[in-house]
Amino acid sequence: MSEHITGQYELLQTVVGTENTTRLGHLSEMDFSRFATAAGIDPADGADPAVAPHLYLGSVMGWGAGAPEADLAVDGTSTTETRGFPLTGVRLMGAGQDLEFHTPVRAGMEVTETTRLDDVQLKEGSSGQFITLHLVRRFRDENGTLLLTCRETFIGR
Amino acid sequence: MNEPALTLDASIAPLTVRPTTIQLFRFSAATWNAHRIHYDQTYARHEGYPDVLVQSHLHGCFLSRAVRQWAPAGSVLRRLRWENRGIAVPGDELTVTGTITSIELADDGGGRVVQIALEEHNQDDELCARGSAEVLVAEGGGDG
Repeated sequence: MSEHITGQYELLQTVVGTENTTRLGHLSEMDFSRFATAAGIDPADGADPAVAPHLYLGSVMGWGAGAPEADLAVDGTSTTETRGFPLTGVRLMGAGQDLEFHTPVRAGMEVTETTRLDDVQLKEGSSGQFITLHLVRRFRDENGTLLLTCRETFIGR
Repeated sequence: MNEPALTLDASIAPLTVRPTTIQLFRFSAATWNAHRIHYDQTYARHEGYPDVLVQSHLHGCFLSRAVRQWAPAGSVLRRLRWENRGIAVPGDELTVTGTITSIELADDGGGRVVQIALEEHNQDDELCARGSAEVLVAEGGGDG
């Protein structure tokens, strides 16, 4: 397994600093509402349902139709839902985020996401080797207005 | 409604939540997160965990809710940071606490910028998440 992690680490090193831009499509009030319900946000707190909850954009793992089930890894994930990075057989877990909210995110906006892997490190833990990924994602609307900067850490085992 | 205390070292009102398997499933669905570790108990145990795990982002939502619950009317959440430090599973009682660590006038003079240190612990007082928030409190918001 450690050889596999080392191999994935070396692969990820080749994409450090490169940016990928993806069109996420138009945002929907229904999706905001479902996210809010799932997160336990009280609808009676007066939030505008046409404005996304703060953590919505940064939390969604996949924006398209998703990979066919046969193409998913054994843990249920696919590269389209792991920020697009070329990870095979690595169990990826979120380890935290640093979110800067620049502009309210509204239903109907057409959003683009730019993702850059800033750093990847190979580490040794009590249960073996693991990798940490630090990435930056910037979300903009159709006019190029910056909505959200999300610095994110993942742990891959 | 009473405005919250806006003084250094003041605590924000704690938020206590008890996530359920249904909540985790719905959060995975709402975020298109197919990772089995969040909804497949057999798989989670195979991975060595006691049960399915509360998502990293859901911990972040709990921190965000605590800040929102505290924030005076008209406040704007400008930044939220957190690190996941321990796992949580359905049935855990998670409590988010916060302390005001800094209050400064906003650059444009329109309100105050408040920094809050946040922690989330489970019922055994084990740390699950640690973070911070930056909130712009409008002029006249908050008692202090």
